[in-house]
Amino acid sequence: MSAHVEFMARSSFIELGARERARALLDAGTFRELLGPFDKIESPWLPLQGIVCQADDGVVVAQGALDGAPAVVAAIESAFQGGSIGEVAGTKIAAALELALRDCERGRIVRPVLLFETGGVRLQEANLGLAVIAEIQAAIVALRRHVPVVGVIAGMVGCFGGMSLAAALCSQLIVTRQGRLGMNGPEVIEQEAGIAELDASDRRLVWSLIGGEQRVASGMADALVEDDAVQLRDAVVAAFARGVPATHRTEQIDTYLDRLAQVDPNTVTPVSMRAIFGGQPGADADMAGVEAVPATEASNAAPTTRGSTWFAALTGGACVQRPVAYADAPLGNTVARFVAVVPDPAQRFARAVDNVVGLEQGWRLARAVREAITADADAPVKRPIVAIVDVKSQAYGRREEMLGVHLACAAAVDAYAAARLAGHPVVALIVGPAMSGAFLAHGYQAHRIAALDAPGTMVHAMGKAAAARVTRRSVEALDELADRITPMSYSINAFAKLGLLDRLIEQIDADAPSAVQVDRVRGVLVSLVDDARRGPHDLSHRLQSDAARGTRAASIKVRDTMRAQWCDD
Amino acid sequence: MEQLTFDFPAMRAVAHRAHVGVVGSGDLEVLLAPNDAQTAHVVIRTSVDGYGHIWQHVLERFFTRYDGAARIEINDFGATPGVVALRLAEAVEASEL
Repeated sequence: MSAHVEFMARSSFIELGARERARALLDAGTFRELLGPFDKIESPWLPLQGIVCQADDGVVVAQGALDGAPAVVAAIESAFQGGSIGEVAGTKIAAALELALRDCERGRIVRPVLLFETGGVRLQEANLGLAVIAEIQAAIVALRRHVPVVGVIAGMVGCFGGMSLAAALCSQLIVTRQGRLGMNGPEVIEQEAGIAELDASDRRLVWSLIGGEQRVASGMADALVEDDAVQLRDAVVAAFARGVPATHRTEQIDTYLDRLAQVDPNTVTPVSMRAIFGGQPGADADMAGVEAVPATEASNAAPTTRGSTWFAALTGGACVQRPVAYADAPLGNTVARFVAVVPDPAQRFARAVDNVVGLEQGWRLARAVREAITADADAPVKRPIVAIVDVKSQAYGRREEMLGVHLACAAAVDAYAAARLAGHPVVALIVGPAMSGAFLAHGYQAHRIAALDAPGTMVHAMGKAAAARVTRRSVEALDELADRITPMSYSINAFAKLGLLDRLIEQIDADAPSAVQVDRVRGVLVSLVDDARRGPHDLSHRLQSDAARGTRAASIKVRDTMRAQWCDD
Repeated sequence: MEQLTFDFPAMRAVAHRAHVGVVGSGDLEVLLAPNDAQTAHVVIRTSVDGYGHIWQHVLERFFTRYDGAARIEINDFGATPGVVALRLAEAVEASEL
């Protein structure tokens, strides 16, 4: 067949809307939508801001058959609010995955397919968007032990933000040339790091860094398909046929740290990285593997941050490795692992010298946590893991995107979630900013979250100035909205109203805590560890507080309604 | 955002509900469902304020040819009158399949 005839015979998948995409993947006549537009579960937050809702909030969830086997597809509609993840949209995806998990645990295997087309968190629902993305990630990690979770990035929006971590957690990722996968969108990088770092209007450059072809050539996606509904469906079926991989990409810590070590950050190009990253992963199952790259020695020049201060205080002055400090220290009548991200002036990747989560930070967080999992594999009682959270952002940079900062962060998400599922009580202690993708990677998978009620502690999906630029509002207008709309607020007190914060610790000097204050914080950690030991290993606890029943009523309604509509035979 | 409502006389029952379109730039979604009363009831939420008279004209023209007793909900993100008319026709067609 000539190229022209072949092209004309294709039926574009990219041109389909979310509903048609889901329908095109499922076996003919089996598409059955859950929480469809006539259920009218819309965003409760958009009308408060004068924004028109879509009746399905931009996500289509459908059950049906895929090659004869039970399947569930969640498809994101890119035309509505850029495919952004709000409370309802994201909860629909999380609920579908949680129900698939429930069925799998009962022996009924359901094949989950995620059609990503998203810029990430919907900034108008900021903190709830971030929270539901953490829930989606938790569900993927739990579900992919039973069945491959297959992701598709067809284009043309691509997959960005916290959802790029969700894509990286998938067992198999199918992309087109038009698709893009990155943590920070090109415009965000240009805005945050300058046009010299990345000219977002240079499409050739952008696609050479994070486009579908490059992602497959560098081993960060599994299959490259043409923009054709039939070929795409065949690729999805083939992905399930390969079964659950022995080790997921996000578990291959040594492999990826070794690859990063081989890269010269100053000279690496999309082509040169392929030789290093395109190969098959080495043996990685043995987590006790030798240190591939020595961690940077503690440097006297490194600034003190709240992260380093609290790490020192809680571990009794353990050696601070950079950029990820971790140590075991007494907590109550047990020994806990404390983990913090700290500045690393000698960091090879120049855009990640601060307390941000970049390539090395993501993989090293994963290692710090997985070491504890491996060490306690046979222990009847697993040690608590405490994430000391003081992270300004993820690292914004061209090299970071090219070398897979989304994957590094996903590895950290995976490790924390795996620790939780293995029975380690995981507690996040917010002592400074807990921003966006950095918080997803370091803290948001915890069983329990505590925060210091001090100036400078905050949780949000994007820095205020950047969020103002992206949503075309002034900082003052954002502040005004934040007063009225709880999930948009930057204050830790507002975050507490979302039901996501288990303890707000008052009257602590976050920068220079006294010994008494440190003891008080330690006491809170002990009680949260005890709580976590008693509760389930998933994140369902987050919806059970009085605060959640009020502010997250939509999240609860989506889950209840989907459970009622779910067909398990 | 502005909300508008309109009522038109209807002559016959509508058999099926239908959903078409998307709340994307220059587009809209239409949810058309059978109405218990023998009238057509239209509720519009639009991102563009101050165009009530245009909606009135577009709907008057549409209802010269459509007589179904339907509840029609429109979520509009700045669609032009031509796009609105096409989406309404598409919704009717889908409801009569």
